[in-house]
Amino acid sequence: MSARQALAKLPVALVALGAALMAAPLLWVVALSLKSNEALMADPNAVFDRHFTLANYRAIVGDGQVFGWILNSLIVSLGMTAGVLVLSSLAGYGFARLKFPGRNALFVVVLLGLAVPEQAVIIGRHQMFAWAALHNTYFALIMPGMAAPFGVFLMTQFFRAIPADLDEAALLDGASHFTVFWRVLLPLTIPAQATLGIFTFLSGWNEYWWPLISATRKDMFTLTVGIASQQMNFAQTEGLGFLMAQAVFAGLPILVVYLFFQKYIVQAVAGAAGR
Amino acid sequence: MHAPAASDQQHPDAVRRPRARSLTQLWFVIPYLVVFFAMIVVPLGMGLWLSTTKSDLFGIEGQVGLANYSRLLRDPEFRQAMGNTFYFVLLTVPALTLIGLGLALVLNRPARWAAVLRTVFFASTVLSVTVVTLVWRIVFLPQGGLVAVILRGLGLTPIAFLDNAALAMPAIAITTIWWCIGLPMVLFLAALQQVPHDLYEAAALDKASRWRTLTHVTLPAIRGTAVLVIIIEVILQFQLFGQPQLMTLGGPNNATRPIVLFIYEAGWRQWDLGYAAAGAQVLFALIVMAALSQYFVARKRGA
Amino acid sequence: MKRRVWFALLFLLSSCAPHDQRTAVVIQRFFGACEADYGQQTDLAKADGECGIMTTMINRFEAENPDVRVSQNIVFWPGYDQLTAALSSNNPPDLVTMHGSVIADYQARGLLDPLDAGLAAQGIQPSDFTAAARRAVTLGGWTWGLPIDSWTTLWHVNLGLFRKAGLVRDGHPIMPHSPAELLAQARQFKARTGKPYFVQISANEYASFARNFYTLILQQGSQPFASPTRANFNTPQAAAALQVFRDIFTADLTTKNEDYSAAIAGFMAGEGGVVLVGTWMVSDFDAAAAKPGSALSGGYAVVPFPQLFARNVSWADGHNWVMPANPARTAKQRNAAYRFLRFFAAHDYDWSRTGHLPAMRSVIQTPQWQSLPHRAELASLAVTGTPLPKGLRRQFPIETIVGQEAAAAISGAKPISQALADMDRRVNAILNNL
Repeated sequence: MSARQALAKLPVALVALGAALMAAPLLWVVALSLKSNEALMADPNAVFDRHFTLANYRAIVGDGQVFGWILNSLIVSLGMTAGVLVLSSLAGYGFARLKFPGRNALFVVVLLGLAVPEQAVIIGRHQMFAWAALHNTYFALIMPGMAAPFGVFLMTQFFRAIPADLDEAALLDGASHFTVFWRVLLPLTIPAQATLGIFTFLSGWNEYWWPLISATRKDMFTLTVGIASQQMNFAQTEGLGFLMAQAVFAGLPILVVYLFFQKYIVQAVAGAAGR
Repeated sequence: MHAPAASDQQHPDAVRRPRARSLTQLWFVIPYLVVFFAMIVVPLGMGLWLSTTKSDLFGIEGQVGLANYSRLLRDPEFRQAMGNTFYFVLLTVPALTLIGLGLALVLNRPARWAAVLRTVFFASTVLSVTVVTLVWRIVFLPQGGLVAVILRGLGLTPIAFLDNAALAMPAIAITTIWWCIGLPMVLFLAALQQVPHDLYEAAALDKASRWRTLTHVTLPAIRGTAVLVIIIEVILQFQLFGQPQLMTLGGPNNATRPIVLFIYEAGWRQWDLGYAAAGAQVLFALIVMAALSQYFVARKRGA
Repeated sequence: MKRRVWFALLFLLSSCAPHDQRTAVVIQRFFGACEADYGQQTDLAKADGECGIMTTMINRFEAENPDVRVSQNIVFWPGYDQLTAALSSNNPPDLVTMHGSVIADYQARGLLDPLDAGLAAQGIQPSDFTAAARRAVTLGGWTWGLPIDSWTTLWHVNLGLFRKAGLVRDGHPIMPHSPAELLAQARQFKARTGKPYFVQISANEYASFARNFYTLILQQGSQPFASPTRANFNTPQAAAALQVFRDIFTADLTTKNEDYSAAIAGFMAGEGGVVLVGTWMVSDFDAAAAKPGSALSGGYAVVPFPQLFARNVSWADGHNWVMPANPARTAKQRNAAYRFLRFFAAHDYDWSRTGHLPAMRSVIQTPQWQSLPHRAELASLAVTGTPLPKGLRRQFPIETIVGQEAAAAISGAKPISQALADMDRRVNAILNNL
């Protein structure tokens, strides 16, 4: 092919190389997870020989506790997602469509909330829930996640993107704002809901610090905390295979969820950005 | 209820209860605002107050006013943490933005292989920080890690990245870019799909080269997204914590300790909660300034 | 969404357990979880490793005390963040595994119960503990924990390589008695075997640097801490302590850039003569040495940190069970908790099979313990093991800082005087703001 054509293909080739580099560490992890701890402790290069074993995965599952942790993570993530979708949609509609006193100022305050680091609020939250004796509950695990301003930001942008004549037609017909919201606009934002839902679920599933200090009883451990707790002191040496199996085990459900919903994500963020 | 006359443009109820409608509208935002207030504003206020005290997690010893802040400014480790954080943001945000944009430009097509590659690049984002740091600590192992294997294969001596004060932060930056590239890529993809086709048609009619199309049509059209991506990434990467905590413990020689790790160590290890709270307030101010400055720079250029 | 809410509620309801009549003892511990292998095990002779032995011991306790139910919150080492969070939200566990070096922090805030009376009621006296263990838990004349072990950094020796280097006499490794001798022997080792004398953990690690540093200062008869609120690192003894390892580093007599796993694997593959790691590796190395064809099959020996200066001491810490204060704890729960402690005191031998040193004098004196591999050589640590001053708080973050600065000095990133100055400043900044 001509030099020009080759040059045109270069970006794609680079991306393909990038993809190989992206995938390599993941494959490494999976390979390590299928090796026995003893073999890896004696010789780190054992990963290249032909012996494989499912013992590490059996050890994770055989325990039984891990399913309790998955259940807790599921409840927390789903609860957080449901809460965020409801609150952010309502607020998004309010900020996008309605005129009420202080609307612009309040929106700016919410945006400033985006810049608040977790460390600035985690102690305050911990103390608040301690006073209310609400630690070790699903409520405590779910509530902080529902305050994330990203959802309101996203939904406001989405509602703003929808032409206003749809509302006006409905309002003229005598509909209340809630009906306009519920019947007319919300169905148009299903892709946005999907995106926000997935990102919120992800952040809930992978949360570590808040569940660590709030859910200190073992029956309330989420998956991230539970998996960390299983590691003995020098797990990296004596239990490397097991550690990697834990990593795969924790990451796999989310990967599956992502694969299932990915078409919505790409489709959905369209409209929020690129304005 | 009377039937609307031709000249009656307003809603029948409009004249009757204007103030009530305004208040009803508030109810859309009130549920969120209550949670926002309880979970963000109040704890932030508590943190602000804590930063003026000498305290630990078990109680407050007394008021110290701004002493924590002045101590922070005189603390060489805090100043180094600020420098480390700025350095890290400089290493990651431009890279994340540009690589994300590049990937989106290349993968913005309906081909099957493009969809597969998009998934590969997004897959890393779904993992938790514990998993990511586990993986990359092993990748960077100076003897048996993936990087060492590759370097040896190329005939070079393996380098101990995480043990080298100059290379540790770039190594963490690489890990972070690997982990976080999915979000910018997806945001840019969405923006690209929004660009109206007639713009491209007009450029084609003008016989514009690919490069000109890119720089004069595509890029300007997605400017808004670019600003969004930069602001969000700045906010996220300023809060670097898990990667250095798990991969290098803030070392070697304090080279990879970011502000959040400093705050964590001060609050949870040294039990100096007021000091940690002050650090958190400073971080908040830094993030606001960094994010806002992006916004204003963008507005100025755009106008 | 509604369906999800109902689903969640259903799960919540279904997780309510039927009412349990047994007295609950809530413990928080690390050491990992190995339910898959040891979930039902009660035969202590069959258990191995920290996780296995701990789990089996707790199972056995429950089997022998059917009226007590032990609820275990297993945490990622060391678990102090969760403990602090639990205590500050008034959810204290009944018993917690706590390092001796951390007891001062919680005791100073009144968060622990003194155990003297309760232990005495179970027939346990502080004089039953070894000197090292007793030092670890005694503060202000009171006993704040039940020690289960003492541990320290040991010199694990590859006898095969030492023999090749001419450093074995009567089947025992020849150890240096001064820094000069150390250098000379290390050089001899390298000349005759071509390998570094030390296998050191130096990447992503600070604890081992700090511990060696403390040991060498203590051996010179100096104190790294003038008082529990004042660090004192700007001393010639501190500089000498760092100089020992700096000289080794510059003469290339040690491995470099190895993290924990690499160092352990390296030692087991015969990479060097001595690995500096703790008591917990004794059984693993012993097992590796027993394997035919392994790099340790030429022999494995382990000794306490050799006396390089005037005094024969070794920095030591230990694991202990402590009881967080809880006014709501019932007499029944307290009694159950103390029975738990008595069980552990009685089975200290079993726990010592992990490689840690027993906390009970009686166990050290038994032939049963002394016949465990290599233990006889380690028995002196029961006396020479020395913790830092008991009232010293924040030992964990201090250890990190000391380790960071020591590592920087040893690798040459900073001159020793600068590292000591920074160490002194940073540690005293913490101690001034307690």
